[in-house]
Amino acid sequence: MRPSLRLLNLEVSSLQGSRTLYVCSVCRQEARPRPLVARQFLRNASNATPITERVRRKIWGTDNPPGLKDPYGGEGVLERKFKKDQPARQGEESENLDQATEEAQAESEADLAAAEAYEPATSWEGLPRVGHLGRWSDLPPSETDGYESFMLKKKVTKKGQLSLAAHQAAVEISLMHTLNMPLTKVCDVVEHDKSVFKMLWKCKIQPGANGQWSQAVVYPSKEAEKALVYIFEQIGGHPEPALAEETAEGAEEAVEESKWEDLVSEVNDKNIPFFGYADVRDKGFLSLPLDDPATKFAFLKRFSQLSGHYLPDPVIHSLATVGQAVEYVHSALNPKPKKLADYLANSQGLNNLPNVKVFAKKQMPMDRDEELGRKKVIEAELRSRGLIE
Amino acid sequence: MPVQGIRAVTNARNGVGAFILQCKRLDFHYCDWAGSSRGMVAFLKNTLPSFAKANPQIEIRVSPRPHKHPVIKGHYINGREKAVCVRNLEPEQIFQKANLLKEASGEKLKRTKKPITSINESVRGIWSPYHGDVKTV
Repeated sequence: MRPSLRLLNLEVSSLQGSRTLYVCSVCRQEARPRPLVARQFLRNASNATPITERVRRKIWGTDNPPGLKDPYGGEGVLERKFKKDQPARQGEESENLDQATEEAQAESEADLAAAEAYEPATSWEGLPRVGHLGRWSDLPPSETDGYESFMLKKKVTKKGQLSLAAHQAAVEISLMHTLNMPLTKVCDVVEHDKSVFKMLWKCKIQPGANGQWSQAVVYPSKEAEKALVYIFEQIGGHPEPALAEETAEGAEEAVEESKWEDLVSEVNDKNIPFFGYADVRDKGFLSLPLDDPATKFAFLKRFSQLSGHYLPDPVIHSLATVGQAVEYVHSALNPKPKKLADYLANSQGLNNLPNVKVFAKKQMPMDRDEELGRKKVIEAELRSRGLIE
Repeated sequence: MPVQGIRAVTNARNGVGAFILQCKRLDFHYCDWAGSSRGMVAFLKNTLPSFAKANPQIEIRVSPRPHKHPVIKGHYINGREKAVCVRNLEPEQIFQKANLLKEASGEKLKRTKKPITSINESVRGIWSPYHGDVKTV
């Protein structure tokens, strides 16, 4: 190869890789050792004189051109500094090594001495305590750690029970309206006693012409009215400030009552919601309006608490009557099938027909093989030929 | 005891009883996602039960074909099949297409050049100059 051509060849030469293996030019560039770049220009096959020297000679026309031997001023600043530092560093490193070995030897001797002085403990006294670290999680649970959810643990799913929840909430909110008490106080009592619940259940609701809640309740009897008014006065607390002491006592009583009710309910009907009642007696409450925002909020809060279903904000905004709330929860429980196959599988018109077949999945050629009874044969043949496993 | 025949006369049905519908199966393919299947989905929901009830001799299969246009495929007793794409069609139009496939013979569509076609041979036979009356010029 001529020197001029060789200068152009910046890639790995054939000496470094075998010629038989094909290597693309990019890879050859990558594989080329870096120091070669500078040297490639300097080296020549015929003699060791670098190209710069040969150029100088040609320019001057003599074999010994005048000028410096190294035209670039000798070694750089960094190179000179590096050469100076190297011997000093080597000396320091050797000293450090000596110190480290001495320390290691001393430590190993101390360990040996400690092992000889070890005595096994016979009692726990004086030993460091392991385990309880005084954190919150290590302490036994206190009263404040207990958590009781606002809603029911198990959601109500049957439509009758949903109606019961809505009816109870409507009667309670109506009672609070008539008593002129804070409406959301009804949520303080999660579950009433069975007798109280029965009275609430017997109450009917006849919404007036104006759609007012205050006069909507129709009591089954005078005694029931008295009892309910008394109970809900206790729950709501007295509004008059002159009887502040009494109200405090009443509130305490109410709390006690509610606790007692809770206990009873836990003992008697632990898993049965609404004491086994299946449905409401009348449907008058469904047409109660939810125009007033405070009433709407109170009703939906109580309804959520009793039924265990949350209602999203856009839905709450669009609700106009109690019936719509019940209907929404019922529809949310039984969503329409999104897939047509599910709809057709449930439709009575097609299920009764013997000539209709509905598939939920796409039918592939393999399904056809299976239907015709040749799938097994095909698979066995493929397996025998080693084409499938 | 001698065997007695049933004393009844066969009902004359003018050949209607002998007719066999050529279409043996109709496949309805739809897509749950695509908008071109909207009419097909409505057809399957509302019209198919009555259509299937009216044609008990046709096997009807409904299966999804995701991300494809809706198709009705007819299978015929001559072994051929016909497929009709019903994308973006209304349920009534799809009903017409289903009827078309139901009534089709399964043969390839042919252009009818002559008004009368028959598979029977001619009763008179082919004309021959050597037969018949003596011809005078």
